[in-house]
Amino acid sequence: MTHAKHSQAMHFQARAAEKVRNPVLQRALQKAKPLFVGKRAKGMAALGEDGLEFEGLRSACVDIRNRVLADLDVWLAIFEERAKATGAEVLWARDGDEICDLVIDVARRHGVTKATKSKSMLSEEAHLNEALAAAGIRPVETDLGEYIVQLAGEAPSHIIAPAVHKTIHEVEELFAKEHGRPIETRTSADIPAMAREAREVLRQHFLSAEMGISGANFLIAETGTAVLVTNEGNGRMVTTLPKVHVVITGIEKLVPTLEDFATLMRLLPRSATGQTISNYVSLLTGTRQPGDRDGPEKTVFILVDNGRADLLGSAYQDMLRCIRCGACMNHCPVYFSLGGHAYGWVYPGPMGSVLTPLYTGIENALDLPHASTGCNQCGTVCPVRIPLPSLMHRLREAQTERGLRPWSERLWLRAWAWIARRPALYRWFARRAARYLGWLAGDEGRIQVFGLAPGWTEGRDLPVASNRTFHELYAARKRA
Amino acid sequence: MRLALYVTCLVDLMRPSVGFASLRLLEAAGCEVIVPSGQTCCGQPAWSAGDRAPAVDLAKKAIAELEEFEQVVVPSGSCADHIRNVYPQMLADDPEWSARANKLAARTSELSEFLARQPGFTAPAAFDGTITYHDSCKGLRGLGIKHQPRELLRKVSGLSLQEMSDCEECCGFGGAFSVKFGDVSTQIVDRKCATIAEVGADAVVGGDLGCLLNIEGRLRRRGDQTTRVLHFAEVLAGGDS
Ligand code: SF4
Repeated sequence: MTHAKHSQAMHFQARAAEKVRNPVLQRALQKAKPLFVGKRAKGMAALGEDGLEFEGLRSACVDIRNRVLADLDVWLAIFEERAKATGAEVLWARDGDEICDLVIDVARRHGVTKATKSKSMLSEEAHLNEALAAAGIRPVETDLGEYIVQLAGEAPSHIIAPAVHKTIHEVEELFAKEHGRPIETRTSADIPAMAREAREVLRQHFLSAEMGISGANFLIAETGTAVLVTNEGNGRMVTTLPKVHVVITGIEKLVPTLEDFATLMRLLPRSATGQTISNYVSLLTGTRQPGDRDGPEKTVFILVDNGRADLLGSAYQDMLRCIRCGACMNHCPVYFSLGGHAYGWVYPGPMGSVLTPLYTGIENALDLPHASTGCNQCGTVCPVRIPLPSLMHRLREAQTERGLRPWSERLWLRAWAWIARRPALYRWFARRAARYLGWLAGDEGRIQVFGLAPGWTEGRDLPVASNRTFHELYAARKRA
Repeated sequence: MRLALYVTCLVDLMRPSVGFASLRLLEAAGCEVIVPSGQTCCGQPAWSAGDRAPAVDLAKKAIAELEEFEQVVVPSGSCADHIRNVYPQMLADDPEWSARANKLAARTSELSEFLARQPGFTAPAAFDGTITYHDSCKGLRGLGIKHQPRELLRKVSGLSLQEMSDCEECCGFGGAFSVKFGDVSTQIVDRKCATIAEVGADAVVGGDLGCLLNIEGRLRRRGDQTTRVLHFAEVLAGGDS
């Protein structure tokens, strides 16, 4: 768990408090949410036009992912063999540090001074950009969102929309500074022009970088192929123009066949952006062959564990089905109150609240599994039916089992449960509590400052309708 | 039919009128209603906190006192979900208790789904005004409660239902979440209140007291002193239940 050191997940509570009070962030989030939700809903509603149906497709996707996870070692061995047969090199990394070492080693072997990157969450897990820079290699993010976030010196706040937390004005300031021009007033109508400006800058990098680094949405075992699902086309530049292409991806990203990949593709873009298919789908197999007009001379796969193998066969194995579509966060009321940075590590939202404690240590992310209302809007939309609330619940139990909950919380719970098992005593306490609440609430019938639950009354009143409990009124009524 | 009314700990402590309204409605539906006298709490708070032992103890207690009834009716989607969906899962490894949990689960209904199943049942009340309905998460996504309360409410004379946008969106209550992460919870319920305000209904109605307290508490804090916040049982039963 080498990456606990990079995780800020222990500061969730404090960061959350800061985020809800940031009006600029809140504006950006409130603008984005209906877009995400609306687009997915439309995409799913249109499934019928293609003779498809969500639950059936979902089951098929779950089966594919489960089949891979049941024999992951075998599928990995097949992938390795097939990928090598196409001329690629296959390397293995146990954790983020090993990813960095391997990438830097490949870079040195090929005299690389600049690397263009398309989106890779694994490179975030490894803090690869920092390591590359320290080794004298310049990393350039080329996904527009990632480019913005890199200019701002921040981490992505969403797995498919890395800069969703930024307003257009913030982006304009960053661009003006980086591109050496005065700041202009921008509206959303200027977005294409701003994108063009970034593209022009990035083009120089695409042409001069010696190495391209990408993630992969899937690895196809039968063909040794890496699949990239993107909307901007930068992925194609990154993976075909430089002489070396490094694919960094988690070992769980495998699917057995092209057919399986096609099935998963029915739900991935629809879940993510509502698109039937993304603008670009690249299947990258092997290196440039004689007669090919483009493609890298060298392809290197770095397949990463970083905590994944430990989940196999565990109570959390379902989480490995994740295809990183982002639908869970797009439908999460907590995510849209805070944005991704509050979560403190690479993955935000519900999937992050499960993955961060599992990959960085349960004791290093105590708040995350509790940072959920239990609404299950995530579990309802997840294309591979990951029971996210149940997994968060399992993590809460693990915290209790390991004695990681505050003793005061446990004491309260245990005392309350002890009383709740004794109806007469419980009634006595409930009556006292009702009197007390009634007294605090006064004639207005609501409490505005409640010392026992300050978290409640900070932003809300506590309405109190009666200073008698149901059971005492009911008993009195029966006596009458 | 002889059935048990499980009033829930929150109704007992915070809003007895919901319990009495439920009682009246079930009697109006022709049921013989027993309020088992030993009932306290279904144990959901302990379960949600991740403290399994007390959650199991309270589950067993509830099963023991409720299993003799033909039907158990609960005026809360969240507690009904806990009894119906969580008890069997929680006790799955214990053959005896698992069987008992499954039996109880099969006999447990949330109030609106129970009433909607009773042929010819119409609410005794009238309501003069417009309402908007908030779907609480556990009832909606755990039990599939959506059309039942609406069907019942639509039959109330004088009542008109006007849907708010995003009525299925979580209100941010989440039990202990609302206290542990009070500021996040407030942020979420504030959005809910904004969509309620857009509709401008006379009352916002729901089926889970936790959510209703959350919504009412925030509406009042935002300065809305007039929009009423009611459990559907209170609307259906009418009067000063
Ligand atoms: S957990 Fe499910 S919804 Fe969330 S990113 Fe993964 S696949 Fe998508």
